[in-house]
Amino acid sequence: MNEEVRPVMDPEWHDDEKLIAALREALASAEDVPSAFVEAGKAAFAWRSIDAELAALTYDSALEPVAIRSESAILRSLTFASDGWTVELELTPDAVLGQLDPPGVGMVTARGDGGELATADIDELGFFVLGPPPTVPYRLVCQTSSGTTILTGWIPP
Amino acid sequence: MRDDPTVVDLVIRARDGEKNAWDELVERYAPLVYSVCRRYRLTQPDIDDVGQSVWLRLVEHLPGLREPAALPGWIATTTQRECFRLIRATSRVEPVDLLQSPDIPEQAIAEEEVLRHERGAILRTAFSELSRKCQQLLSLLMQDPPAPYDEISRRLSLPVGSIGPNRARCLTRLRQTPALALLAADGPGPNDE
Repeated sequence: MNEEVRPVMDPEWHDDEKLIAALREALASAEDVPSAFVEAGKAAFAWRSIDAELAALTYDSALEPVAIRSESAILRSLTFASDGWTVELELTPDAVLGQLDPPGVGMVTARGDGGELATADIDELGFFVLGPPPTVPYRLVCQTSSGTTILTGWIPP
Repeated sequence: MRDDPTVVDLVIRARDGEKNAWDELVERYAPLVYSVCRRYRLTQPDIDDVGQSVWLRLVEHLPGLREPAALPGWIATTTQRECFRLIRATSRVEPVDLLQSPDIPEQAIAEEEVLRHERGAILRTAFSELSRKCQQLLSLLMQDPPAPYDEISRRLSLPVGSIGPNRARCLTRLRQTPALALLAADGPGPNDE
């Protein structure tokens, strides 16, 4: 985008009524932002030390119509993907079952804002079993022995 | 855009690991992320999701950010991209209309939001630089509908007849605050004539 956008004084601000209206809008738009949203942004700094590829949520079974949801013990299945990597997860009461694709041996760690919550090995087929599931929101950091680190989005407990 | 010395300083300090500087950056730009998300009518949980991705990408992007002045634009376009990603991932229909036939080009939306955000931030800074008396008076006048003069008179112990002149004086001071005066000086110059 054009990075030379200049926030020059709006000519309308010379008009008292319009300046008051602009000020009202400016103050209100800052108040609109929930404080939890700002706090979550501040907490993101804790992830600074992790040099990882971000894998974003591409599938969430909770968003599917109820009729086609599985009846099994799987509470929810999620898929995260980045360029070239996919992490498929099944959240069960006892464990987080996952598969990294393409497969690769490595380590997976669940991390919350407070630090590491659980860790497990990733086998040669890319499978891992992480349990018991964390009780606070977390993200998974998958580190493969080939040197790639993949960080998923937030996962609800 | 002026190279805002505050933003440059915050970016450098956050890059060096100073948490306070990061917090200030987030406070400063959270309204921008939020307003772009609102523009795409995302729900609160989706806005939270987009926010997380944007801040993480920013944490990652800080070391490579050569021109801190470009930060607002980067934040707006990154937020847009995350909004599209989420809309694609969660909607059952392909958001073809959204992506391929926008009435307003995406870049124009980002620029508009950046400009609105920068103007808003400047007005908020300017307002915070006013005397308490002026802040109180303007706050009452900004209410919708504005507080009646007799109520303002009672609450601020000002004669009704002096409210009008005080209002004009406070607005003049607002225009003269460093935040706004800088803009006026920075406005269309002789080269633009």
